[in-house]
Amino acid sequence: MEEKILENKSDLFEFASFDKNESEHIAAPQYSYWKSVWRTFIKNKFTVAIAILLLILILFTLIQPMISGYDPLIAPNVNDPEMRFLKPSAEHIFGTDNVGNEVFDVVWAGARNSIIISFVCTFITMVIGVTVGAIWGFSKKMDKWMIEVYNIVSNVPFLLLAMILSYVLGAGMGTLIFVMCVTEWVFVAFFIRTQVMIIRDREYNLASKCLGTSTWTMIKNNILPYLISVIMTYVARMIPSLISYEVFLSYMGLGLGVTKASLGRMISIYTSYMNGYPHLFWIPVTVLAVLSVSLYIVGQRLADAADPRTHM
Amino acid sequence: MSNETAEREVILSVRHVSISFDTGHKKKFVAVKDANFDIYKGETFALVGESGSGKTTLGRAILRINPCSEGEIIFEGKRISGNISREEDRNVVRNIQMIFQDPAASLNERATIEYCVSEGLYNFHLYESEADRIAKVDKALQDVGLLPEHKSRYPHEFSGGQRQRVGIARAMIMNPKFIVADEPISALDVSIRAQVLNLMNKLKAEKNLTYLFIAHDLSVVRFIADRIAVIHLGEIVEIADSETLFQVPLHPYTISLLSSVPMPDPIVERTRKHIDYDPSKLDQSGAKRELREIRPGHFVFATDSEFEGYEEKLRSMEQEAK
Repeated sequence: MEEKILENKSDLFEFASFDKNESEHIAAPQYSYWKSVWRTFIKNKFTVAIAILLLILILFTLIQPMISGYDPLIAPNVNDPEMRFLKPSAEHIFGTDNVGNEVFDVVWAGARNSIIISFVCTFITMVIGVTVGAIWGFSKKMDKWMIEVYNIVSNVPFLLLAMILSYVLGAGMGTLIFVMCVTEWVFVAFFIRTQVMIIRDREYNLASKCLGTSTWTMIKNNILPYLISVIMTYVARMIPSLISYEVFLSYMGLGLGVTKASLGRMISIYTSYMNGYPHLFWIPVTVLAVLSVSLYIVGQRLADAADPRTHM
Repeated sequence: MSNETAEREVILSVRHVSISFDTGHKKKFVAVKDANFDIYKGETFALVGESGSGKTTLGRAILRINPCSEGEIIFEGKRISGNISREEDRNVVRNIQMIFQDPAASLNERATIEYCVSEGLYNFHLYESEADRIAKVDKALQDVGLLPEHKSRYPHEFSGGQRQRVGIARAMIMNPKFIVADEPISALDVSIRAQVLNLMNKLKAEKNLTYLFIAHDLSVVRFIADRIAVIHLGEIVEIADSETLFQVPLHPYTISLLSSVPMPDPIVERTRKHIDYDPSKLDQSGAKRELREIRPGHFVFATDSEFEGYEEKLRSMEQEAK
C-alpha cells in the first residue's frame, strides 16, 4: 500500500541536488567591525541630530574667532560708554559686555580654547593611560610599585596641585594642559589595568600564549579590541568633564591668563553683572552646557555602538 | 619494564613532578603530587580523573603555563620545566601544542579565523610570503574539514564543532610533535564528539603525532587511548594499557571509576553496580605509598602490604582466566 503511494507520488517530487560546499557560500554576510559601529550609530535619528549640531558647533567655534579676530587684550570700544552693556539685538547678536566687546565674539573664542584644551588633554591622557595601563595589567612586577604610585597620586588634592603648578609655571594654555594631564593619566591607567586583568587570563589569551604570541601582540590583538567600547565610554565622559574642569580652573583664576579668551574667565567676570545684565552670565553658561551635553550624548552613543553586542 | 615498551622511544617524561599554588596562607595548595610517567612516541596517553584532580594542571605544566614546584619534565631528552633559555622555550612552543576544552572561550572573538589560525605562523614567521601563509591556512582548514571560505569569518559565526576544528587547525599548523588535548570534546555536543575524535585520530596517523589526552569520560578514553593513567587528588594511582586497565583494574579508585561508566545496554545497565571508593579501607599504617610496577607496563600506587594484596588478586584473576 505504502509503496503504491510512493510510486504514485514519485513523479510529483524530484530529488533536489545537494552540494555541501554550495551551502557554505550563502551563509552570513561578511562582518566588518567599524562598518557595524557606524551602522549602529546612525540608526538613531536623535543621535544623528545631536551629532550634526555638535559638528556645526565645533566648526563654528574653530572658524568664527578667525573671522572676528577677537583678542582679549584689545577692547576697541572701551572708551565708548554707548557701546557697553547693550542688549542682544540684530546688530549685536549676543549684546555687548562691560568693556564694549561683542559677547558673540568673546563666547566663541572662549569656547574654542576650552574645546582645544579638553581634546588635547583627553588625547594625551588616553594615549599615556591606555599604554601604561595595558602593560601594568600584564606585569606583576610593575603592579607592585604602580599601585603605590596610584595610591599617592589619588590622595593628593587636585586643586592644591593645580594651584601650586600654575603659580610655579605661570598661567597659560601649556600649564593648564599640563596640570590637567599630570595626574589624570594615572586614573586612566588604573582603570585600564583593572579591565586588562579581567580578560588577561581568559582561555583565548592562554591559547595565544601557547602559540608563542608576545605580550605586546597579545595586548594589541587580544586585549585592546575588547576594550574599545569601554575606552570610548571613558573618552565620552572625559571630554565634557575636562571642559568643565577648564572652566572651573579659569573661574578660580588658575586657568588661562588674561591674554586668552576662556569660558571660565568670562563667566567669572560676568557674574558681577548678574543683577543688571543676566544675559551676560547665561550666554556663556548655555554655550558650555550645550557643548558638554551634546559631546556627552554623542560620545556615549558612539561607545554603545562600539560594543559589538549591539550589532545584531 | 618489558622489552616491548623499553624499545619504544620516550618523547616526554614527567619525573617526580609536584605543582603547588600559593593560597595566600602559609599552607600551599598542592595540585599534583610526585607525578611520574613516560609517554612514548606515537601513542595516545590518557590522563583520567575527576574534577579538581590536577589533570589539567599537569597538562598545563607541560606547556610551561604552570610552573613545577618540584621535579622536572623532559621532552626529547631536554628538560623543559623551570628556567630554560628563550630559545628552548620557543622550541617547546613549536613542538608542543594544546587543544583546549571550550572552543568558544579559546578563540579570540574579535579576530577572523584567518588570524586565529595564522597566529603561530606569524609568531615564528613560518611562511615565505603572504601567498604561502594563505596557502598554509587554507591547507590547515581543509585538513580539519573546513573550507578556505571560512577564513574571513569570525568565531561566533561557527558551531561548536567547527570552532573546535579551528582550534585543532591552529595547533596543527605549527607541525607539532606532541599535543596536549585538554578535554577537547567535553564542551561539544554529543552528536559531534565522534567527528572530532575521528579527526584527531586521522591527524595523528597522518602527522605522526603523540597525544596527551586529558579526560574525565572513560568511555571516550577507551576508544582513543593506548595507555591510561588514573589521577586522584593530585596522585597518579594507576597506569596501564587501556585494555589491561579496563580488564584488571587494581586500585580501588580505578575500580570505582570504572564502575561508574554508564553502559549503553539497558539489561547490563540495570544490573550495573556502582562501587564507592572508600579511602579508609586502604592501608592506614602510614607506610609510604609509591607507584610500583606490578606487571610489565602496569603500575599501581600502593604501600608494601597493599601491593601484596594486589599481587594476590592479580594472580588469582590470571589463574581464573586460564
